[in-house]
Amino acid sequence: MGCQHLEELYELWLLGALSEQNATDLRAHLARGCPYCLTRVREAAETVYILGLAPKPTRPHPRVKAELLRQISRKTAPHR
Amino acid sequence: MNEELSPEDLLARVARQDVAALGELYDRYAPRVYGLIVHVLPARDDAEETLQDVFMRLWNESPSLSQEGGSVAAWLVAIAREAVVDRLRASRKNAPSLGPHIYSTGPEKASETVARKSKTPPLPASNARHLERIGEALKPRPANGVKNPAIRPVSPAVLPRPKEITLIDDRLGLLHKAIKELPKQQRDALELAVFGGLSESEIAVETGEPLAKAQRSLRAAVTFIKHRRRAVCGTWAANI
Repeated sequence: MGCQHLEELYELWLLGALSEQNATDLRAHLARGCPYCLTRVREAAETVYILGLAPKPTRPHPRVKAELLRQISRKTAPHR
Repeated sequence: MNEELSPEDLLARVARQDVAALGELYDRYAPRVYGLIVHVLPARDDAEETLQDVFMRLWNESPSLSQEGGSVAAWLVAIAREAVVDRLRASRKNAPSLGPHIYSTGPEKASETVARKSKTPPLPASNARHLERIGEALKPRPANGVKNPAIRPVSPAVLPRPKEITLIDDRLGLLHKAIKELPKQQRDALELAVFGGLSESEIAVETGEPLAKAQRSLRAAVTFIKHRRRAVCGTWAANI
């Protein structure tokens, strides 16, 4: 199947910027396992990754990590 | 923790319930993930809670994610973006503005452009409606002949491979410089799509531009960055 006409839609789909109809059609097409489009979408995800990282990295307060690890340790602790 | 371990090695350990390995991934990626989150959700409590949610999801989903072989960094960024969109939807009554304008070098923010040009209600309200529609659109729907009806923009199946992300990380500064080279109209459209979560048609409404023009701006911006990525990362021998 020739999918070149979808070329400029992959990033927009990943961003949620397509119209609902276009998004539904593309999702259904991908779900049928089109190898060309899956490869292209994976490549498009690289572009979206670049865009998402445009804000400057910001170090969160150390308390946030401590709380996270405490929550996880509580989940994994054996029940008595 | 061994500094030599790759993120994917660490993920495999996380999948075996190694809390220290999760802590190591957090140390490596929390600043960039938090940078994205706090850009969209400036309220510190919301931003910190969202950051914890993202890493809690990593903990919970690590077994399946580890099997897929996708990039941990790309997954974290995709999930963080999904999480802030969910947050905005949940707080639709008081949805925040777009925050500081990352892509533009000029003094005017995209949200200010919107305020100047828009013939429609202010951004936050329509933003919330749009985010609701996105959430709806991303829900898995069964369809005849569909092998994997649950495929979504954040599915591990469509995650970049670790090798590609390492290549990008090494050249991230150069790639972000390319964003600043875009014409202002294109940068604004990109900002509204990436950090405002707006669709092409909503960008048109918000900026007061015809749909075709808004589409052209956004698609041209995305295509430019895509071509730059291919050229800078050596995956495409384009002479641009």
